[in-house]
Amino acid sequence: MYAIDRERTRWFLREILPHEPALRGWLSRRPTADLDIDDVIQEAYAILADLETVDDIRHPRAYLFQVAWSVIVKRLRRARVVPIHAIEDLARFDHPDSSPSPEQIAIDRDQLGRLAQAIGAMPAKTQEAFVLRRVEGLSQREISARMSISENTVEKHISRGLRFLADWFGYGGKALANGSREKESEMASVDGRARNQSVH
Amino acid sequence: MAERETSRYIDETASDWIARLDRGPLSEEESQAFEAWLSGDARRRGALLRANAISMMSESARALGPDFEPRQFASAPVAKPPLLSRRRVMAMAGVGGIAAASIVALGINTPAAGAITTGVGEVRLVKLDDGSTVMLNTQTSVKIRYSNAVRRVELLYGEAYFTVADDRRRPFLVETSGTSVRATQAAFLVRRIEGKPVDILVDQGGATAGIAGTPAPIPMQAHSRLLIPLSPATAASAAPAGAAPAPRTVSSDLVSRALAWRDGKIAFEGERLDQAAAEFARYSKVRIEIADPDLAREPVTGLFAARDPVGFGRTVASIFDARMDQQGGAVILSRSAPRKKFSS
Repeated sequence: MYAIDRERTRWFLREILPHEPALRGWLSRRPTADLDIDDVIQEAYAILADLETVDDIRHPRAYLFQVAWSVIVKRLRRARVVPIHAIEDLARFDHPDSSPSPEQIAIDRDQLGRLAQAIGAMPAKTQEAFVLRRVEGLSQREISARMSISENTVEKHISRGLRFLADWFGYGGKALANGSREKESEMASVDGRARNQSVH
Repeated sequence: MAERETSRYIDETASDWIARLDRGPLSEEESQAFEAWLSGDARRRGALLRANAISMMSESARALGPDFEPRQFASAPVAKPPLLSRRRVMAMAGVGGIAAASIVALGINTPAAGAITTGVGEVRLVKLDDGSTVMLNTQTSVKIRYSNAVRRVELLYGEAYFTVADDRRRPFLVETSGTSVRATQAAFLVRRIEGKPVDILVDQGGATAGIAGTPAPIPMQAHSRLLIPLSPATAASAAPAGAAPAPRTVSSDLVSRALAWRDGKIAFEGERLDQAAAEFARYSKVRIEIADPDLAREPVTGLFAARDPVGFGRTVASIFDARMDQQGGAVILSRSAPRKKFSS
């Protein structure tokens, strides 16, 4: 089960996730028929999760784009996945986003500041639970006592906080940065009941 | 079930599982449900990997410290700047304990002559005339000596990251302590710290390393590292004649960690606490003292703000159930009477 392997996850966090906004941008400019970009990204990530090893991937960004492209090709042609394991030749893979300069990388990795911003934009209760869990390091049980809410509710807040971060980082902070206030009130009103309905 | 799940629904379920795992161990029943869920639609494994990575990333929020006030960030302008502007760096510095604040100066132009030097905890990016850049870590000094034939930079001491603009006619040469690194287009790190081997790490492109007393230059590829013993004299006596040090291939993980200082951070991956404390000493005048030998051997993992040794001490204390005291300019970690977390 590679999907929760810590090493694989760490690799993914460092080498793949920072490129998601660029991948989204690139996919949106491709003739992908009626494919849902999020579907393609999930399938691409699943392939990365299932790889036996990622040690020989020299250019993770290019590799990610290739895998995503192979998902599209597979869907469009209903063919087998093109073999992607050995393709490391950057030049053969035509994508418009050249590798960022080291300075840009350095700024992209300014994660702590961005993380602080993202947490700052969370809905109030979710934010409170998330800060207690991740900044102060309380357990979900301790948070439940501190906030006088059930452990199940704490768990839901943590889950929602994670999704909030996923959106924030997956879209390069743009989607939410433009209207964090509106987003907040919207999310606050969705709190609880409405979400359960969407689950069923 | 026959209907295809939406990607959004899968993302939500994946986050729910990660939050559940974060709460505590799964029951037998839950484990089976989890396995069953994972073995379904392939997209679920991708979504879970992503949710778990987000969760792992959020663990570094610990480094924000207990004084973190999320509302201050909420009201700050959050539009994504194309470049880290000086003003934004200053704004963040005001919020306290934020790693990025340690980048104190960006885009300084090359002085005509003399050495460029950084002080304790300072990181500086220097743009050179040809478009190359040098990023200086804490306590570092370099001298730029460009000529028509060669772009020469002398690393007097410390650690610097060089990004070399392509110019085949004028090689880029970094010289330090009997060693030189030559490149035409590359990005690499050179470290020269007293009492330690000279350390060369090639991040991108390729370079060759020349060592005084060895016959041929040593070619280095991207993601390789070369450690050169202290001085040619000791190298000659320690190694048989002709045996030059050889570069080792390193993982991209290691490269990221070695370069974390460019973001004002220090990355550890299982280093001993006393080694971690020594690393912090490079960036701050605040000393971290470890009173307990057992505690000194504890392995440290994580990403920390380089200029916040107190925040680091606090985090370490809470992880290892230790006690942190501040005395004068020192942070003292000990493991005597365990105290309750966050009782201050």
